[in-house]
Amino acid sequence: MLSEDTILLLYEITDVIIAGLSTGSVYALMAVGMTLVYGVTKAFNFAYGDFFNMGGYFAWILIFGLGFQFGGYLTVLVVVMPLMFAVGYALEKLMIAPLRKREDWENKVMMLTLGLALFLTSLYTVVFGVRMKSLPPIWEGTLEVGQLVFAYQDIMIFVLSLGGIGLFGWMLNNTRIGMAVQAVAQNPVGAKIVGIPKERIFASTFAISTVMVGFGGILLSQKWFINPMSGGTIMVKAWVVTAFGGMGSIRGGLYAAFIIGMLEALVGWMFGLSYGIIALFVLLLATLVFRPQGLMGKGE
Amino acid sequence: MRIKHMAIIIGAAYGIMAILPLFVGNTKFIMNILIMCLIWAVVASCWDVMMGFAGIFSFGQVAFFVMGAYCSGILAIEYHVTPVLAILIAGLFTAGMGILVGLPCLKLAGPYIALVTFGVHMALQPTLRGEIGIALGSGGSVGLLTIPPISMFGYTFSSAHMVPTFYLTLLVSLGCILIIMFAIKSWWGTAFLALKDSQDFAMSLGISAFKYKLMVFALTSFLTGIIGAYYGHFYGVVSFRLLDLDLFSILMVMMLVGGLGHFPGSVIGAFLVVAGSELMAPLGAYRAVTMGALVVVLVLALPNGIMGLFLKQSAKKIYGS
Repeated sequence: MLSEDTILLLYEITDVIIAGLSTGSVYALMAVGMTLVYGVTKAFNFAYGDFFNMGGYFAWILIFGLGFQFGGYLTVLVVVMPLMFAVGYALEKLMIAPLRKREDWENKVMMLTLGLALFLTSLYTVVFGVRMKSLPPIWEGTLEVGQLVFAYQDIMIFVLSLGGIGLFGWMLNNTRIGMAVQAVAQNPVGAKIVGIPKERIFASTFAISTVMVGFGGILLSQKWFINPMSGGTIMVKAWVVTAFGGMGSIRGGLYAAFIIGMLEALVGWMFGLSYGIIALFVLLLATLVFRPQGLMGKGE
Repeated sequence: MRIKHMAIIIGAAYGIMAILPLFVGNTKFIMNILIMCLIWAVVASCWDVMMGFAGIFSFGQVAFFVMGAYCSGILAIEYHVTPVLAILIAGLFTAGMGILVGLPCLKLAGPYIALVTFGVHMALQPTLRGEIGIALGSGGSVGLLTIPPISMFGYTFSSAHMVPTFYLTLLVSLGCILIIMFAIKSWWGTAFLALKDSQDFAMSLGISAFKYKLMVFALTSFLTGIIGAYYGHFYGVVSFRLLDLDLFSILMVMMLVGGLGHFPGSVIGAFLVVAGSELMAPLGAYRAVTMGALVVVLVLALPNGIMGLFLKQSAKKIYGS
């Protein structure tokens, strides 16, 4: 028979694992979005974390600003997702597409999106104030199995983000646009020759990634609050996950997200939350020293 | 650009700077801005050497600046080292950190280097605030508040004596800028450029990518660390707030205004942007919004910055329109 303390410790560890799984699943969603954009368009988006917050703020506006009670989160998703898509599409067309013709445009894109990140971060601060906003949980209540307690919210986050990734994977392999995206990723010139509108695919890919990260924002902001200044940290997390898994590899991103979600939850539980990002960084450096292309990246 | 032109532009910019205290020497506020101009000119130029000349997409420059400031401040406060010596030690320390950060970066491709260096930047803040930083004497979430000012030959250069302090800053800043200029125009600088343009070809000519890239990291982080330490001793206060994204992007605006990879441009960019950002002070909270929008517009509209416009003019003069 286990002692009282051991049982308590086991419960705590279970909590940590659940937290790791639910945040890990959202990280997976964000990493897939990021790796998709990088793999297809070679554009690196520094404002990624601010799109995460954008999703959260859109949801907040709908729920509290406009007092939209009808349908709860279903309405929010139906309204916010197309909005995120439109924002992403327009940004790509207006800002990134004109740079594509320049020499060393990849670096220029990084600088531009960094400026965009500052713009959005300070805009959120000005418009919504520095105080954090909170979203209501998507599904209240807890599920009790014996003495273990699961929040429905965690389960929903896990299911929805994995569902999102699954839907995305299905689209990529089974629809015309998904196959076009794959074709452009493999060979942009060849895709152009067979009549795939490359520019439109680039813009759509960028837009899809903003949708994915915005979806992640809606899901995770219920647990974390929406903090206007957090864009940079979130971007770095998504980036670490992506780089750790290997840029351009979707499966690598999935594994990496869960490893990193778990690691973060464990380090936070053992040493305190502020050590999470240091631990992530150490893990990333150690990985990159031995495998510069990441866990499952293809390399040069 | 030829070394003669570089020297003329640098000479003109610093010459104008040197005259200004004659007119505004009594206004502490403006003198303060001028000193900031000189300090940020060095940081922006170091960053420009890294990104524009060596083509290493590093985002760690602000982190090195803060490391230098903290290192020298801690040495001076906890161990009572003379500020001048502390600044030199801080420079060597950041150069060492630069090499340490540079080592894993050498094997990596563009976005990965950006990630690792930006990661250093992001990880520095919790490190300085947390228990590790407090154990080292970083003052936790308060920062360092009592850094002693520089004193040489029995004279104290503090904000109480603005004009002498300004000229000391001018000398330090000019010294750093000249080091950068000679480095760019030397055999090293040619090697950096060759590596940036075609690494394979440069390596086939016997230029060691490993050696020269590490040198870039060491040199730029050394100079950034020195000027960061100097900043700490001038202000007397250093906090991890320096790591916020706005300073980072203002430095980037300086480089973009000056023109990336057009060296003395970043000096002029720094002077213009510091002055412009003070002029925008009435905008209050909207200043950061404007700065962000400015980066976007500058990248799109002015690819080579002010130096680009200047070069276009001189090209027209030489080749006919």
